[in-house]
Parts: sequence; structure tokens; C-alpha cells
Amino acid sequence: MEVEGKGGEAGTTTTATRRFALPVDAENKSTTFRLFSVAKPHMRAFHLSWFQFFCCFVSTFAAPPLLPIIRENLNLTATDIGNAGIASVSGSVFARIVMGTACDLFGPRLASAALTLSTAPAVYFTAGIKSPIGFIMVRFFAGFSLATFVSTQFWMSSMFSGPVVGSANGIAAGWGNLGGGATQLIMPIVFSLIRRMGATKFTAWRIAFFIPGLFQTLSAFAVLLFGQDLPDGDYWAMHKSGEKEKDDVGKVISNGISNYRGWITALAYGYCFGVELTIDNIIAEYFFDRFHLNLQTAGIIAASFGLANFFARPGGGIFSDLMARRFGMRGRLWAWWIVQTLGGVLCAFLGQIHSLTWSIVVMLIFSVFVQAACGLTFGVVPFISRRSLGVISGMTGAGGNVGAVLTQLIFFKGSTYSRETGITLMGIMSIACSLPICFIYFPQWGGMFCGPSSKKVTEEDYYLAEWSAKEKAKNLHLASQKFAETSVSERGRASTHPQT
Amino acid sequence: MHPFFSSKSIFLLPKFQNSTMTIHTLLFASLLIFSFIHSCRGGNKDRLFTELQNLIEVTTKPMQDGVVLEAGKDMVTVKWKLKSSAKVDADATFKTIQVKLCYAPISQVDRPWRKTHNELLKDKTCPYEIVSKPYDKTPQSLDWTVELDIPTGTYFVRVYGIDGDGHEVAYGQSSDEGRTTNLFSIQAISGGHVSLDIASILFSVFSVVSLLVFFVKEKKKAKLEQRE
Repeated sequence: MEVEGKGGEAGTTTTATRRFALPVDAENKSTTFRLFSVAKPHMRAFHLSWFQFFCCFVSTFAAPPLLPIIRENLNLTATDIGNAGIASVSGSVFARIVMGTACDLFGPRLASAALTLSTAPAVYFTAGIKSPIGFIMVRFFAGFSLATFVSTQFWMSSMFSGPVVGSANGIAAGWGNLGGGATQLIMPIVFSLIRRMGATKFTAWRIAFFIPGLFQTLSAFAVLLFGQDLPDGDYWAMHKSGEKEKDDVGKVISNGISNYRGWITALAYGYCFGVELTIDNIIAEYFFDRFHLNLQTAGIIAASFGLANFFARPGGGIFSDLMARRFGMRGRLWAWWIVQTLGGVLCAFLGQIHSLTWSIVVMLIFSVFVQAACGLTFGVVPFISRRSLGVISGMTGAGGNVGAVLTQLIFFKGSTYSRETGITLMGIMSIACSLPICFIYFPQWGGMFCGPSSKKVTEEDYYLAEWSAKEKAKNLHLASQKFAETSVSERGRASTHPQT
Repeated sequence: MHPFFSSKSIFLLPKFQNSTMTIHTLLFASLLIFSFIHSCRGGNKDRLFTELQNLIEVTTKPMQDGVVLEAGKDMVTVKWKLKSSAKVDADATFKTIQVKLCYAPISQVDRPWRKTHNELLKDKTCPYEIVSKPYDKTPQSLDWTVELDIPTGTYFVRVYGIDGDGHEVAYGQSSDEGRTTNLFSIQAISGGHVSLDIASILFSVFSVVSLLVFFVKEKKKAKLEQRE
């Protein structure tokens, strides 16, 4: 599959002393996306980052499908399980925020591999836990690895140019999130294989955890050995050789957090991705307990929710790019708001359904909408800031987890609400928290309900406003300048905005 | 490799959408078929526990009184027979006898997957079967070793008399109606092994050490490039 954006050039492109297999823009970012290629550095970065993220997702959600066994071995209560679910997604709130800055400073390759390798021990130690506290702790620390999402988005935004960045981000994140679904299939299968080899139930699940742990470790090795931060090279090498100027961390952070759009995307993402994380945690047990299915069957159904990510999230990213082509940024915003709201409606429905068949049907449709909404979110995020791309990505990603923490805390802890009621209430909260999308406004492109500013603000004005005159004098703003040029495509086709 | 999309061919979009649609349709069609088959079985009127008569007398005697039994090691002696107060041929319909291990209320607290429901099909009180055998009028006794996959908890024993259709018609239990007397406790196996703990440590150390090795190599490489 290939997705092409404007400004594509046929054949190879050379810039100074470098040659790339794919056509590139002014920043050496690829303007096309070729799924079946592993060409250095663009497509290789894509495959390495999505696979590493996938492994982290598998590890973080390896426990839920085996909970019917684990809860008996460790004598867990519903409160313990709820707390562990919250713990699994709360660790990476902090980690995602930090990861954004880490990527800005060290590059996505080192930052992500460092995180993945340092959280792998939590997965290995799951094999030895003996109490509810142990369970909560390993899920907490393993969950930090979900911050590799931020490095994935950052890496894709560094490698792929405007017209295809939504697709690249969507597919990479979607195939990573796939891990949350794949694990619901993988873990019960690994468990039954180990049982067949003679282990008791209470030992077999422990051994099973070595599989996700190993995959996590190996994927980090692959990233370190075969990956590259930027089209032009690696961060550290480029820092030292003076090619890449080091930016002021404090300025980068303050520039990011003062941009109100980042906060809105954080909230909205909390109610599409947050919902997805919550469902990953509770859905297998929900089907197991409510419909009296066995472990494998509940796992298959639970898996189909996460597996929809294979198409749904990339579909969201691609849809965002398509809307941008015609309607510019306003199209991206409308598509995002509509899809996410519909996801919330379907979620509310899901809790009200009593039959197994219809639960599965609605869950599948709901999964497509909620995951597409995640893809649509990251069609908008790369344009909010250029200087503080990492911080904004980190905030938004962290917001996703905060949504999951809040939702599980309010609706899925202990036995206050039945699971069905919790799911319905989560859907309603999702609809409410998607409304702020209506308030996102770009002076150069407009918002959902308003056109571009009458003051004729250009892309250059918007992105260069992030730099002071002093910094511009030192030429620190050149990357933003290049980005502003390529982002003109966000005006859409039917534009009354005069070309400058 | 020719492009699926280009800025001019939005009409190719339905082609992509179709393959997404097809796969989704296949996925949930197969699940629909599966669930239809599943829901076709059963569909009887809900049978209730309260409709059953308490006709069987059940006694349990743990190997040692007042001690927590260890799964896989300790034994419980279970005895059951028809109550002397029962009518003469009250057991005429019994074909099979099923002896089950059941959770006491204290082990059901904050654990909705062990909840007691009146509908027999929904009831989760007694998930573990001790034995199931053809009905014998004479008093029965069984020495049962607690199995390895029994979780930690407090338990009693219930016996169901089952007719030829597989439906429960009567029951008896070793505890009172409120399930508070004559309970015994079981401690589960931990499932852990020293070898697993050692493997965890080894793999973890390997991961962290290789990270440090990579970092050092990166720094060296950066220094080298700077010198060039």
C-alpha cells in the first residue's frame, strides 16, 4: 500500500551528500509512505517503532486475559484488580510527559529503547509475585513502557512530512495498540501450551510472562541496532557535529504547556485512547463473567476489540489526511469530533445490551470508531507546535492515560457500579469530553466553527511566533521555517486564503 | 508500486474501504454464527436453587480440625446419605450424585465472579467438582485430597441429586442455610518456583546491562564523529 502526498518526486532525491530511497521534502522527511519497504531511514524507522510499541502493549496488557487464573492464585478481590488496572495505565502518565522532552533532547531511538529495556524487568518479575501488592506493583512498572507511544509519534513526525504524517502516525500507533488485542489471544494460548507441557495452572501463567518480556527486550535491541533518529542521522552525533542545535529545555516545555490546544487534545485523547485502555483492561473478564464463557473464548472476543486497531486507527489517520487534502485543518477537526462522539454513543449502548451476539457486534463497531478517533487526534497534534512537538505529543499521550486512570477510578473500581453500568457511563463521559474539540482554533486555518483569521495570519507567523527575535538571530528557528512551508497544505483545496 | 491514492483519485477510496469493510464483515459474521450456535443450546426455563429440596445429609471432616488445609497435600473426608426424614421414595428420580466444593460467604466478599445467584445456571457458588458418580442408596464416604488448583479461601461442601435429564432435583450441604457453620479453610499453592525467580533476575539484569552497554557505545560513536 502506498500513500502519496503533494510535492512527491519520482525516483531518488539527493540533498547535499545524502541520498534517500523515498522522495523527500525540504526537511528530508519522506513525502510518501510505502508500507512494504524497510528502506533506511524512513520506513525502517516506521517498522522498528511500531513493533517496539506493539511489544510494550502486549506486556502491559498481558495480565488481563489471564486474570481468571491470577485472581485465584493471588487471592485478589475486585478492588485489587481495579487498583492494578489503574496502576497499569497511571505509571505512563508521568512517563509520557517526560518522554516528550526526552525525545526532544536525546532522540526517539535512545529514549524509547531505554524505557523499553528498563521496564522489561517488571514483566519478568511478574513470574514471582505472591500477593495483591506484588501484582499492583508489577503492573504499575510494566505500564511505564506505554510511553513508547510518544517516541513513536515523535519519530514518525520527524520522518514523514505533513500530507502523510497522519497516516504514518496512525498506522504506527494503530499497529502498536494492536498489542493490546493480540495479547488477549497470545497469553491464553501460551498458557495452555505450557499447561500441556505439564505445569499446574498456578505455575503456567507465571512462565507465560517470559514471552512478552523477551519480545520487549529484543524489540529494543532492534531499535538500537537498526534505527536512526532523523533522516539526516542520529541526535547525539548531530549534536556533537553542530548540525542540530540544542534547544533550551525550559523554553521548549513552557512553550508547549502554554499552548491551550495541547490541553484540549490531552482531554479529548483521554476519552478515545483512555476508553481503549480501559476496555483492554476489563473486557475479557466482562465477557468471561457476564456470559459464562471459558478463558479462550473470552480472550478471542476481547482480542477482536484490540485487533480492530490493525485497520481502525490507521484508517483514522488516513481519513484525517484525506480530509485535510480537501478541507484542510478544519476537515481534520470535524472528522475527529464526529467520529469520537459516535464512539461514545456506541460505548454507552454496549453496556445496555444483554445478549452475547449483539454485545460482540456493537463492541466491534465501537472499537472501529474509538480507535479511528485516536488516529484522527494525531492527525492534528503534529501541527499544534513545531518547536515543542515532543511536549505536545507527550501531553496528549499522557492525557490518554489520565483518561484511563480517571475512568477506571470512577467507574471500574471495586463493586460500586456493575461493569455494564460502568461501560455506559464511560460512553457518556466520552461524549462530554469530546466537546472541547470545537474550541481548537488555528489563526492561519480556522477551527470547526470559524474560518481563518481576518488578519491574514500565515503558517510562518504561527510557527515562528514560538521563537524570540534573539533566537531567530541565532538561526535556531530554521526547522520551524521549513515546517511552516510544508504545512501550507493544511489550507485545503477550496481555500479563499490568498497565497503569500 | 503504483499508488492507491493520489490527490486526484479520491474515488479510489471506496476500494480501500471495501477491503476494510469485507474483513470486518467476515469477522463479525463468523462471530455471529458462533454466538447463534451458542445461544441455540439451552434456553430452558431458569431453574432456581430455592426450588430444590434439602434431602441429603452431608458431613465433612477435615484431616485435622482447626488447621488450614494445604492444597495438594491435605484431605477432607466427605460423607453423604439420604436424610432419614425424607419420604420413602424421594430419591426415585436421582440418577447421579454430584459433590461440589463451595465458597463460604466470607470468600465471596468483593469477588463478583463467585457470587451466589438463585438461578442454578448463573450460580457461581460451587465451581469445583469433587466427584460425580451414579446414585447409590447406601451412605457414601470419600477421602478427597484438595486439588492443586483450588484457591485460598473458606469452603463447605454441597451435594446435588441429579435426574436423568441432568437437572438438579435435590441438594444437601455440610453447612447451615446461611453457610456460616462447619466451614474449613484451604491454602492454595503459590505456584512459584526458585528457578522462575532466578530466571527473572537473570533476564532483568541482562536487559539493564545491555542498555548501559549500548549507551556507552553511543557516546563513543558520537565522540568519534565529532573528531572527524
